[in-house]
Amino acid sequence: MGSALLFEERSAEPDRGDAVAGLDVTEARDRDLVRAVGRGNEEAFRGLFRRYAPSAMAVARRVVGQPYLAEEAVQEGFLALWRNPHAYEEMRGSVKAWLMATVHNRAVDLVRREETQRRRAENTGPHEGLVVLDDPAESVVDEMGLPEERKAVRAALEALPPEQRAVIELMYFSGLSQTTIAEKLSLPLGTVKSRTLLGMRKLRSTLSGMER
Amino acid sequence: MTMRDHSAIEELLSAEVLGGLDDRDREALYREMGEHGPDCPECRQLRDEYGEVAGRMAFALEPVPIRPELEEETVELTRMQGQGVPLRRVRGGRVVAGLGRMRPFGVFSPLVAAAAAVALFFGGWVARGLIEGGGPPFDVATARVVTFQGEAGDLAVAYRPGQTGAYVFGSNLQAPPSNRVYEVWMFQEGTPVRGACFRPKPGGTSLTYLDANLETAQQMAVTVESPSCPSAPTTQPILTADLT
Repeated sequence: MGSALLFEERSAEPDRGDAVAGLDVTEARDRDLVRAVGRGNEEAFRGLFRRYAPSAMAVARRVVGQPYLAEEAVQEGFLALWRNPHAYEEMRGSVKAWLMATVHNRAVDLVRREETQRRRAENTGPHEGLVVLDDPAESVVDEMGLPEERKAVRAALEALPPEQRAVIELMYFSGLSQTTIAEKLSLPLGTVKSRTLLGMRKLRSTLSGMER
Repeated sequence: MTMRDHSAIEELLSAEVLGGLDDRDREALYREMGEHGPDCPECRQLRDEYGEVAGRMAFALEPVPIRPELEEETVELTRMQGQGVPLRRVRGGRVVAGLGRMRPFGVFSPLVAAAAAVALFFGGWVARGLIEGGGPPFDVATARVVTFQGEAGDLAVAYRPGQTGAYVFGSNLQAPPSNRVYEVWMFQEGTPVRGACFRPKPGGTSLTYLDANLETAQQMAVTVESPSCPSAPTTQPILTADLT
């Protein structure tokens, strides 16, 4: 199965001295895998799952706060890929961003629907802040290309003014709406909106300069 | 680039991709983008680029090791898709049933079937009303549960009188012959009405959703049929239930 996959059997690491080339290779592999999923290739699906489920789980757990709900979000995100791989349009962006956005959407939907947000807030207190830890352990998963991605995204977030970063993190990592954030931070809603826009513009500018 | 103003759309989109819009602002976004039309290149560019940013933000977090079983469970769910079973999973000892708002297909874990079957057959979860879900919640505390009679295994149906939707739970079910499935029937004044087809999972569990109102049925039955799921029974029932 999957003999037509360009990268399926290749385990060789990309040239670490050329991160851009490595990212190109991994993105090309990801797209190849998505096409194979479209042909019903289960191994391709497994390949994407192994590569991205740990990252998806990280964001899902951060949003929903409970492991079993996070698993549900991750599963639903990947099942969406299996059901309709053609929903991914190559011209629109990278596979990894699309997958993460899918899982994140599921997580936000879950957290709002089940009102775990309130319970989680009671358990964990106010904004936890972005957890920027040491370099990720590459042994966790097939991390080809992802350490560079993590560094770049973290650097982009850290470069934001704190007030913009806080709003964006609360929205993305805690699943809060702008209205809720305004209440939580005792800010006018318009301030939250403007901080979001300014911060996202900076992120867009910074990250769009990177290879997908 | 056109001269159209995209400032409002950009502001809304930059929050939408983060999951930060409330319903009113989301409606405003759709309204604004609708006025520009689906082919507006600036709108598409904004949507795609902000979407890419949001998706990649996930990588700011440390990856979390997943349960070793999760991959296999997820793959198993892909195999089950399309069977029309709108149960999702066991979560912290709870069973969640029904379709979520954004879920066009039902999915469920093999664990659900086993747990749900156990729950129904032993009654504890039924009594405590622990099955819930999207769509209209399935309040099993008010559901009627009827068990099937037969030698092929344990089967029960749970439904709410007067309402559409029923769940057929199985455990200890014998596997049908290869290239055969079980088909559930509802009998209305002696006329069989097709319900759903299923094959028990390894271990003999099953969980099948019937998009039907059982109020008009007097009996139910299960027969062994071809995978094409014929519109009328072709074999004698192996399990039957009296709903009256």
